[in-house]
Amino acid sequence: MSERILGGVLLLVSLAGIWIGWDLQAPMSYEPVGPRAFPLLVLFLLGLCAIALMLEKKSETVWAPPPVLKRIGLLFLIVLVYALLFDKLGFMIATALMTVPVARFFGGSWKQGVVGGIGLGVGMFFFFDRLLDVALPTGLWLNGILG
Amino acid sequence: MLMQGFAVAGTPENLMIALIGCFIGTVVGLLPGLGPINGVAILLPIAFAMKLPPESALILLCAVYAGCEYGGRISAILINVPGDAGAVMTTLDGYPMAKKGLAGPALSMSALASFTGALLATIGIVAFAPLLAEWAIAFGPAEYFALMVLALSCLGGLVGDSLPKAMTACLIGLLLSTVGIDANSGVYRYTFDMLHLQDGIPFIVIVIGLFAVSELMLMLQNEHTASEPITLTGRLMFSMKELMLAKWTMLRSAFSGFFIGVLPGAGATIASAMCYAMERRMAGKDHQFGNGDIRGVAAPEAANNASANGSLVPMLTLGVPGSGTTAVMIGALTLYNITPGPTLFQDQPVIVWGLIASLFIGNVMLLVLNIPLIRVFVKFLSIPNWLLVPGVAAISLVGVYAVHGTTFDLILGTLIGGVGYLLRVMNFPIAPFILGFVLGDMMEQNLRRALSISDGDVGVLFASPISIGLWVAAVAMLVGPRVMRMLEQRKAVAA
Repeated sequence: MSERILGGVLLLVSLAGIWIGWDLQAPMSYEPVGPRAFPLLVLFLLGLCAIALMLEKKSETVWAPPPVLKRIGLLFLIVLVYALLFDKLGFMIATALMTVPVARFFGGSWKQGVVGGIGLGVGMFFFFDRLLDVALPTGLWLNGILG
Repeated sequence: MLMQGFAVAGTPENLMIALIGCFIGTVVGLLPGLGPINGVAILLPIAFAMKLPPESALILLCAVYAGCEYGGRISAILINVPGDAGAVMTTLDGYPMAKKGLAGPALSMSALASFTGALLATIGIVAFAPLLAEWAIAFGPAEYFALMVLALSCLGGLVGDSLPKAMTACLIGLLLSTVGIDANSGVYRYTFDMLHLQDGIPFIVIVIGLFAVSELMLMLQNEHTASEPITLTGRLMFSMKELMLAKWTMLRSAFSGFFIGVLPGAGATIASAMCYAMERRMAGKDHQFGNGDIRGVAAPEAANNASANGSLVPMLTLGVPGSGTTAVMIGALTLYNITPGPTLFQDQPVIVWGLIASLFIGNVMLLVLNIPLIRVFVKFLSIPNWLLVPGVAAISLVGVYAVHGTTFDLILGTLIGGVGYLLRVMNFPIAPFILGFVLGDMMEQNLRRALSISDGDVGVLFASPISIGLWVAAVAMLVGPRVMRMLEQRKAVAA
């Protein structure tokens, strides 16, 4: 069933893509093949594959049991929030905040989560930002202190 | 030329980088869940952000790649969980050996096998790559287009259980590569008026999302009750008798592994499985395969290292990666504005020969790291997941952030990771996806160039004997493996 749904979604995507892509015309053209041919070709083939996916009769996807799936969804949300706060809160705080719940998911205790989070946040910040010269966001609150 | 390469690879800085790469690679390889693709994907942006020169960055990535193939065996032998996909076959005899108290010989023999495989394959690169590059230099845009179709269909035909799934993955990759301003006409394609999408979706965002972020979710799904690693006791080294028993196995597997690796699409996993099966069949009656035969660890390890190195051949000579990991490396080259392809040997001898020389040096380092210092790596097996997973999450986002420093990229990467998780659970192969994304732009450019030359006549794509050959091969690779499988099944049913 999940294959069919995905096939349907992909078919819609390819139709929408073709509809949008139809207007991709260069105002002035020096070459026989413009900017829209390649995407349209790919989308057309994608549409065919989507139909093939819907018709294919084998290999039903085995999803994780619902409680695990729920935790995976939560993990995804945590990473998404982490991505959102990465720049605003700065690397150290965002990482520490992310580590606590993720550590809990993987069998760590609260204490391990907090200690690990602070350790990762501070340790990796100094390792990357100071040692390797990979610039990381400090967050507004630290700018005054670290410069 | 090779000497010039050693001069590049032998600078103290590059030696240091190779050593660090080998170490990181072995660790990444031995951690279950993280394999060469994840390792290379995570390190690429960091190398880029550190402003390493291109040859050093490539040396780092290749050292990590080679190290991963060594590292995968450690967890395969000690906890019966392959550290990366190439080490699946190593569990079959490695773990039984460890249970019998022979973990030391299993580890040292597999390290030697890895070294043999990698060394032979590197010699193979030196012998074959320049020839292949010279031959390919005559390729025009039409041949190039056909060659890239061949690369995609090789990968699509061999991996995964379903042709529509493999093709879908590859087409999604191609489609995403068209996002952004079209270089020839300046038309905005599928940017949806978003400023950040003008230059297209950054390669690193796709790679990290697909391979690192989705991996976190898979790790939660597959979380097994971690078995205690078997402690290393007794002798560490294999005996002379064991070496004699396994030497031909190693050499045969190394040769076959290299040639399997050179073929686009067939990677380390297929090479190790085929060589294991071959050795088992050749071993005659009194073998112990499956119960801890030393040849059972030597064969897959020699094969997977040889094929990993062999897969560098199409990448360096044709600019067409044969595996997911080399696709990521091609992406690394393009980040440095180096166009991969047959002219690489002429235009960038420093990079190519430096890389090849560093493979020789790196493998000696890996052998030294992996036999006397094996106990150091065993310690890494006890890193708990509650620390490892947030660490991987943080490093992944550091990598994405290092490119443009925008929250947009971070969120896009995470969303792609979510989609990647769904696709991976549904058994969509991911390597064709990334290959499609990497090759998309080159494919389109070559297609348009070919059609410009012929003034729009599609026949130009099938005009030369080389391109016809490539098209035939592409169709055969796409359909062949499945027809063979169907025939085998029918035979099995009839019998």
